[in-house]
Amino acid sequence: MDREIVVVGVTHRSAPVEVRESLAFKGETLEQALHTLTAMESIDEAAIISTCNRVEVITTAKQGDSAIDCVTNFLAEREGSGDTHLLDHLAVYRGREAVRHLFRVASSLDSMVVGEPQILGQLKDFYGQAATAGSAGIVLHRFFHKAFAVAKRVRTETGIATRAVSVSSAAVELASKIFDRFDDKTAMLIGAGTMAELAARHLLGRGVRGLLVTNRTFDHAVELAREFHGTPVPMEDLPRYLELADVVIGSTAADSYILTVPLVRQVLRQRKYRPIFLIDMSVPRNFDPALNQLDNVYLYDIDDLSVVATENRQERGREADRAEEIIDAEVDAYLRWLAELDAVPTIVAIRDKFDAIRRAELERTLATLPGLNDESRAALDSMTSAIINKILHAPITHLKEQGRERESIYLVAARHLFDLDDSEGSGTP
Amino acid sequence: MSFPGVLLPLALLLYLASTLAFIGHLITIDRGPLRWAYGALAGACGLHAAALGGRAAMFGYGAFAPVQEELSIIGCISVLLYLILAVRVQLTVVGALVAPMGFVFTLSAYLFESGHTAVPNELASLWLPAHVVPAFLGYAIFAVSSCLSIVYLAQESQLKGKRKGGWFRKLPSLEILDNLSFRFVTWGFAALTIALITGSFLARELWGALWSWEPVQIYSVLTWLLYAILLHARTVGWRGRRAAQLTIACFVVLALSFIGVNLFFPGKHGGSLG
Repeated sequence: MDREIVVVGVTHRSAPVEVRESLAFKGETLEQALHTLTAMESIDEAAIISTCNRVEVITTAKQGDSAIDCVTNFLAEREGSGDTHLLDHLAVYRGREAVRHLFRVASSLDSMVVGEPQILGQLKDFYGQAATAGSAGIVLHRFFHKAFAVAKRVRTETGIATRAVSVSSAAVELASKIFDRFDDKTAMLIGAGTMAELAARHLLGRGVRGLLVTNRTFDHAVELAREFHGTPVPMEDLPRYLELADVVIGSTAADSYILTVPLVRQVLRQRKYRPIFLIDMSVPRNFDPALNQLDNVYLYDIDDLSVVATENRQERGREADRAEEIIDAEVDAYLRWLAELDAVPTIVAIRDKFDAIRRAELERTLATLPGLNDESRAALDSMTSAIINKILHAPITHLKEQGRERESIYLVAARHLFDLDDSEGSGTP
Repeated sequence: MSFPGVLLPLALLLYLASTLAFIGHLITIDRGPLRWAYGALAGACGLHAAALGGRAAMFGYGAFAPVQEELSIIGCISVLLYLILAVRVQLTVVGALVAPMGFVFTLSAYLFESGHTAVPNELASLWLPAHVVPAFLGYAIFAVSSCLSIVYLAQESQLKGKRKGGWFRKLPSLEILDNLSFRFVTWGFAALTIALITGSFLARELWGALWSWEPVQIYSVLTWLLYAILLHARTVGWRGRRAAQLTIACFVVLALSFIGVNLFFPGKHGGSLG
């Protein structure tokens, strides 16, 4: 009657990328794998997570040991190069540790970049596939939903995901310290470069109203503008269009300053001193460092942004500690629920048994008392029900509480005392 | 101690608790103290208002004649304004300024509890509330706007200096701080204008003339002019750091002259009552 959650697989901590690649599941293979797993006798429910950082099989089983063996063999067959090699890299979690592990994964504490937001969405997809395939049952349903809730709690109650850890996202984080909203802002991209384009993409994600793209070669500007649904601007018209831009990202190979103090001063006047955020992603720099001295101009170069990103990474480490505390508490809550689940069939069986006895005896008595009217019959019925309920109240309460400990002797004793396992409908899961 | 007399020290304690909780929140960046901070601040504001109400019920308008009582009312309204604002915008750091301000303003009323004066009959006209209510409201609005501007300057220097970390994370965006401060100054200016007009009519009723070169009248017009200059500067494109500095400067002048005039030139204004 006890169930255990078992997680077997490889993660970016336990195995190199070649091993993870060789195990990865995709589309139909995944569905098939889920069916194969649930068809095994020792496995009740199953789900598979397969991302570039991890391939993990989550199962519930009555006997954890045999489930681990089954899944290990299953994975070894996939990898095809023999048990020994895979075993070195296998990470196994069971019971409490398994619950903790999935909660940590969902909360992005186990990610390569702690706090990255993608993992939760991926987890939801894989849970959805397990649900569709019918391999997730009551325990895993609850398990995943709980994991999603925990992830949300961690996200809202700690700063783990609020810090931008890449240079381009740090730029956008800074922009949101200057601007309250982006839907009335325009960004301008000067030149092209991976980080600059990423930053522009982030800004578009925040909903900037427009994106102006300019380049030494106008054709490139047109090309890039098409990709971003922006507006291409010829380089020689830059000073005229600069007035429109609230955020300017520079990333050109120019060896002299494109934005100079006199130019920006003039632009500021035209803008009625509305703030401008200048992001210089190029080396050598495109924007005169003295621009930062101007009122309502905020200039960050690539070094400044790296510092922000690094600090944020350290900050995330501290926040991760607080996240772990939340997870510990949630693991307890989930395990309590799981344990109560064990008590439920026993309690139902006891109630059923007592009620059956009551009905049988009641019918027998009523047969000997033909003179009773309906009212009196109903009264007898409710009286006997009340007696049963009152007698069972204390034992059931204790079972619910004691059942929280796995393999509670109370549960075993109760089943034994009332002969539940021999009778029909004992409800053993 | 009379009934409203117990409320004030309780409110003071809660203001202090709220201040400490705000500071605790800023240091730890933990959301826990934040709930306490807002809870204590709301409680303090409620008790404070009840204390003021009790005073008014007992003594009438004369209860608020002494300058420390006026400060106490302004503090209470400022905190209320902040609480209303905080429901809509996340302004934790501003709370860390408003809570101690409420504490200090109330403390002066508590320490220098100086009784009350019966309002002379001639003051009991409708012009009195018409003057006093917008005046207090205006001062409270200016107080909050200067808090917003202080936080603006903190955020601005952080961004310019490229220091990032700790409680500065909690600072709202420059845009929202600047906009809110501007809007508050506009409302405060409207309230001050009304107070000035109704005050003149009150003066005519009491002293026979709209204008009689009273210190209080002079300083009122001067601060009104200062705020008019600030608003004008705003509309011609002053924004950000300089506007924030001017907002704070205006409030400092307002506060100093308000207290100074009341203390040193009692004249016929509040002083004639107290």
